[in-house]
Amino acid sequence: MGAEPKLNIPLHVKYIQSLGENKDDLTYHLTAHLRMNAVYWGLTALYIMKNKDALDREEMIEYVMSCWDEQAGGFGAHPDHDAHIHATLSAIQILVMQDALDRVDVDRVTKFILSLQQPSGVFAGDAFGEIDTRFLYIAVQALSLLGRLHELDVEKTVGYIQRCRNFDGGFGAIIGAESHAAQVFVCTAALAILDRLDVIDQETLAWWLSERQLPNGGLNGRPEKLEDVCYSFWVLSALSILKKLNWIDADKLIKFILSAEDLEHGGIADRPGDQPDVFHTQFGVAGLSLLGYPGLEDIDPVYCLPAKITEAKGLRKDWEALPRRV
Amino acid sequence: MHGVKRIRYSREALEAKQQRDKAKLQEYLALTEEIISRKKNGDYSHEAFDLTTRMLRVNPEFYTVWNYRKTILVKEFFLKSTPHQINDVLSGDLDMTTAFLKQHPKIYAIWNHRRWCLEQVPEGPTEADPNGWKMANWKKELYVVEKMLDVDARNFHAWNYRRYVLASMPVHRSEQSELDYTTRKIEANFSNFSAWHQRSKVLTTLWETGKANPAQNREEELELVRNAMYTDPFDQSVWIYHRWLIGEGSDATILQAEISSIQELLDEQPDSKWCMESLVHYKQLLLRNHSAIIGAEDRQVVKTSCLDLLLQLQHVDSERKNRYGDLAVRIRDMDI
Ligand SMILES: [Zn+2]
Repeated sequence: MGAEPKLNIPLHVKYIQSLGENKDDLTYHLTAHLRMNAVYWGLTALYIMKNKDALDREEMIEYVMSCWDEQAGGFGAHPDHDAHIHATLSAIQILVMQDALDRVDVDRVTKFILSLQQPSGVFAGDAFGEIDTRFLYIAVQALSLLGRLHELDVEKTVGYIQRCRNFDGGFGAIIGAESHAAQVFVCTAALAILDRLDVIDQETLAWWLSERQLPNGGLNGRPEKLEDVCYSFWVLSALSILKKLNWIDADKLIKFILSAEDLEHGGIADRPGDQPDVFHTQFGVAGLSLLGYPGLEDIDPVYCLPAKITEAKGLRKDWEALPRRV
Repeated sequence: MHGVKRIRYSREALEAKQQRDKAKLQEYLALTEEIISRKKNGDYSHEAFDLTTRMLRVNPEFYTVWNYRKTILVKEFFLKSTPHQINDVLSGDLDMTTAFLKQHPKIYAIWNHRRWCLEQVPEGPTEADPNGWKMANWKKELYVVEKMLDVDARNFHAWNYRRYVLASMPVHRSEQSELDYTTRKIEANFSNFSAWHQRSKVLTTLWETGKANPAQNREEELELVRNAMYTDPFDQSVWIYHRWLIGEGSDATILQAEISSIQELLDEQPDSKWCMESLVHYKQLLLRNHSAIIGAEDRQVVKTSCLDLLLQLQHVDSERKNRYGDLAVRIRDMDI
């Protein structure tokens, strides 16, 4: 038997630092519509790997503020991109982690977010009307971080989630949609923030979630689909909120996540041998943190933010990760 | 990024690639700049519209450009055009997104634009036939989405879109034909859980509207499921669907019949985790809901067999051994 694989933290830190230096690369520009999210993923991963200061704080805050869409009252994904609820949450999360929330016009952002709630209770991503339970969760979390949750129509919001529940205990993107682990995460976490976990058939959902683990240790997002590192977070976060994280095999999953590391250039991919990216790096590291992998900070599965941050804001909910190994 | 293989370039190869990409990069950045500046200036011209087409061909995920395109249509084109012209331009956008989807079947922005276009289709072609254009477009939608599901029968974008189309068509299609569609999908591949899921939704609607008889359907469904179970007892889709059919297990006869049928399959396939797992679940329902109809002695037998199965499951399906342990504790403590 060879040595146990280890998370190569210094290499992943270097990888995340290098992401901003690819400006000669076409792919860098083709993904500008995800830039704000990417900064959030990068910063969160660094924070969890105890390297929060590896990116320049001032530069990051200025970048976030340069994405403010004055007309709409929200943040875009990149300067001159339209405001969108997803970029807006990432901006808020970054500013919370950098202790710079005072830079935000809280009244205007709150208004922008609340303006996106539809009569059915779900939220649209922007003024053009795409709806999804992802956007509902984003609204709930953003309002919570901004201290404005009391302005939300909770009954209406919970009502929509309730109507997305399927017989397998899971939730889909919209009413009628098939259960999907990422949508299960957003619905479960939104209900946790709203203290309405009673809406969930917890026994059935925890069963469905535990069945996401495949013989190779990885997790899939739906029955009879392939494993993917990012599901480590979607499935594990929901299981920790239900306090059933021990219903899957943690050792096998840790091995799977580590097998998707790029040990040459850093970063984690969706699967072994694939191209790494900051999204899978963040969700791989977050998954490892929930599994108690040694040397990492705790991640809060409800907010997908460092637990220290949500605790300091008095927002910690009742979830359980696996004990930190030494 | 999903499913992109890691490529290792030699230094020479990497430099050559960057050189090749350089022209593309310059062009892309110039195009981005031009579009953004026109957008800022409120330019809703034809040229601006054509520039968005060029950009979206290269980068269909650039949501700001999709937004700009819609704004040009709403703020300029729709105001100055006849319904006929509007219908034509929307058909053009629908054709464009059909082509995009073939290449990028999972990009949200493309599906969204498609939906938006459909909702903008004006009344016409004539006052006597105000739904003509709408009908023609919606009918085509169902065809497009079926083609998409032929290529990838699990694409949840396509399934969500399909449900949206079915719910929004000016003239509704019968639920029965949708049920038939799921039968075809399931028979083509029993492990297509997306189709089983859709089936559960369609049947629920049929029952709620009194268009079908639940008891009769349930019998047919159990038959279909049994075939699937025997075809591949290790495929979880069918077992999950089976659980929906049984529900809370209020019908003791069905529950007992299913328990013995699964037991038969387990005898043939002694290492089938799903047989064991389902047996535990249904026997638990039996104990919980029908303890009166089974004698005290039999109750203990059922309880013991559950505990035996859970012990085996801890070995056969070790990833979930803690779950089986928790279930065993609960069953052991059951007051029967
Ligand atoms: Zn992924």
